Amino acid sequence: MLESIIQSLQYIKPEAALTATFLCAILADLIFKKKEITAAVVIAGILVTAVYVFQQVGERASVFSRMLAVDPFAIFFKFLILLSALIIVFFSLFSNEVNNNKRRIGEYYSLLVAMVIGMFFMVGASNLLMMYLSLELTSISSYLLAGITKEARDSAEASLKYVIYGALSSGLMLYGISIVYGLTGALDIYSVNSVLAQGGTNTITLLIAGALIVAGFGYKISAVPFHFWTPDVYEGAPVSITAFLSVASKAAGFAMLMRFSKVVFIDSSVLSLPAGMWATIHGVVWTDILIILSVITMTLGNLVAIWQDNVKRLLAYSSIAHAGYMLLGLVVLGNDGFAATMIYFVMYLFMNLGAFYVVMLVANKTGSEDIETYKGLGSRAPLLSVSMTIFLLSLTGIPPTAGFVGKLYIFAALINAKLIWLAVIGVINSVISLYYYVRIFRNMFLRDAEGEQAPLTFHFAHTFLLLVLVVPTLALGLYFGPLVEFAQYSVAMFGVK
Amino acid sequence: MIPLNFYLILSAFMFCVGVLGVLVRRNAIVVFMCIELMLNSVNLSLIAFSSYLGDPTGQMLVFFVMTVAAAEAAVGLAIIIALFRNKQTVNIDEINILKW
Amino acid sequence: MTPDTTLHLTDYLFYFFALLAVFSGGVVVFSRNIVHSAFALMFTLFAVAGLYVLLNADFLAVTQILVYVGGILVLILFGVMLTNKIVDVQIKAGSIHVLPASIITAVIAGTLCGVFTLTDWFVVPGADASAVKTTAPHIGEALITNYVLPFEVASVVLLVAMLGAAMIARRERKK
Repeated sequence: MLESIIQSLQYIKPEAALTATFLCAILADLIFKKKEITAAVVIAGILVTAVYVFQQVGERASVFSRMLAVDPFAIFFKFLILLSALIIVFFSLFSNEVNNNKRRIGEYYSLLVAMVIGMFFMVGASNLLMMYLSLELTSISSYLLAGITKEARDSAEASLKYVIYGALSSGLMLYGISIVYGLTGALDIYSVNSVLAQGGTNTITLLIAGALIVAGFGYKISAVPFHFWTPDVYEGAPVSITAFLSVASKAAGFAMLMRFSKVVFIDSSVLSLPAGMWATIHGVVWTDILIILSVITMTLGNLVAIWQDNVKRLLAYSSIAHAGYMLLGLVVLGNDGFAATMIYFVMYLFMNLGAFYVVMLVANKTGSEDIETYKGLGSRAPLLSVSMTIFLLSLTGIPPTAGFVGKLYIFAALINAKLIWLAVIGVINSVISLYYYVRIFRNMFLRDAEGEQAPLTFHFAHTFLLLVLVVPTLALGLYFGPLVEFAQYSVAMFGVK
Repeated sequence: MIPLNFYLILSAFMFCVGVLGVLVRRNAIVVFMCIELMLNSVNLSLIAFSSYLGDPTGQMLVFFVMTVAAAEAAVGLAIIIALFRNKQTVNIDEINILKW
Repeated sequence: MTPDTTLHLTDYLFYFFALLAVFSGGVVVFSRNIVHSAFALMFTLFAVAGLYVLLNADFLAVTQILVYVGGILVLILFGVMLTNKIVDVQIKAGSIHVLPASIITAVIAGTLCGVFTLTDWFVVPGADASAVKTTAPHIGEALITNYVLPFEVASVVLLVAMLGAAMIARRERKK
């Protein structure tokens, strides 16, 4: 036992490095009382972690009595989460909302690291206990971060709604887990799968358990009907946290959902399907649950977004809709579909963080997130407006942007799996989304500013970070070969040997 | 010997009482109490399964659920207190700058 | 061999604890006085701890009393006191849309009970409930062997909660 624990230790170096960063950030905050130093500690910690993750590339192992899987699939998501965490630290340094607070908020950066730790365990968790625990670590840190600017009334309020919905959905998920435990006598997802594959399990009970567990995942990826917290929390939380929740937290939730779908409900003894496709265990309607979830998520997200006047809230609904598109990739139970979702996530990272970054820069200067503020922005801040246009076009999925490539792979996977009607629904939704994205750039370029006319100027570092996000959004739309290969490799090498 | 189903049905009842409370009550603290009720019913069913299966895995999960419930309650009540300082109310539907 | 249908003491205890749990759970939800709700929750928590004992989970029963009654419930009472003026005897705690919610819940409860009765749960042949190793030494041993990783992650969860709760709840010094 002791040997196996000691052997396992070398596989959690990234998580250990992050935990050390977490503790160092707390200490640095207590000793130096300067947020720049705390942020520097966090950046250093993230870079060290990235080195450790890089060393893990190609590993396939199941560690700590099969609690955690270290495989290329998890590593792909770990890179994604680290990259977005790094960008978010810079966002936070530039954000007036976070920095002009009346008090020291050193805990801000420590909690950000705690959230990353939780997400690292989420992407690797291969035991229902570990899934629950890591989900809660991520959630508790995000409740606190959403309420961090508590003097702003809507921040504390957003945080309260977040906690109540979070606690409710994790309660539902646990009930589902307890039913699964009763049906299979195990919590380890591979053991659960082998019992289910033998057949004889009551399918209605399993369906109820599956639906309850989906509540937990659906809450994390903000899928309808578990999305109620999303618009309020996204609007009430500081923009930097909103951006982080919309990308990294969603990615971790998706990674966990994908591992759960791939392992628990797949019958690996079916060999009649073409290579790279998987069959669900007989009598399990998992695909149907995912189809329903995905269609209502993207449709409702897009339709409600049309009526929003606060840009942050609009982007919140847009991110709900994007969760729907990404679920489409999961519906195709196969390597293609999963790889498509992973590719989409990389594109989504740049375009969504970019859009939120523009919202933050505008709010820094004008103090407002209302869509009316964007009137005449085209002449007041040309670079900013052009970048925003690129991000929004990419979110819609218009070539030659990154978003187009992401959608292309998802729809291609659907068509290969003969789910053409789903692809059509996806395309219709993209068209609807164009309508509300156009509202923003119509305000920026076709309307004149009311009141303030002076050009907005930005610090060099702020502009540089903007370019860091714009360039990949365009470049990944033109040159995406290596990314696609990496995603396909990561899915093909899923799980442990 | 009480059959397993009795424990499960008891747990289902407690769970539903908790869900009902979360749906109908608007005092945030009462909502938290109802969530604790739900978690207790989950723990009960896990321990019942574990005991009838003769397998301790379920009890280990209960152990961690208790830990997390304590952490969640602490954070939740801290947020309620922070909100109360700002707004002098803990009723969910009086808190309405943000629309549902 | 005919099944033993006579009621033993443990069976009476089960029914007693079950009724106590459900009844006081109902009081938690429906009482209009928040302090009554909190005290009713205490009875539910004790009843559940009693059920754990009947299920041979003695260590968890003690943990339940220490963590839930000694920790969470006291925390909730502090929350009640800090957010309501104590002099105010009438602490209003109204309800919203009771009827639709009750119908939904009743449907869920009916479905769950029906399904649970009909389900064949996973059984290990020859499993003996009393043989489960769930006393303190065994749980302790499991925590530092198979469950060492969740155990460590739980410590991070608690640290985050401690740090965060203190940060959110503290009063700011006026500058």
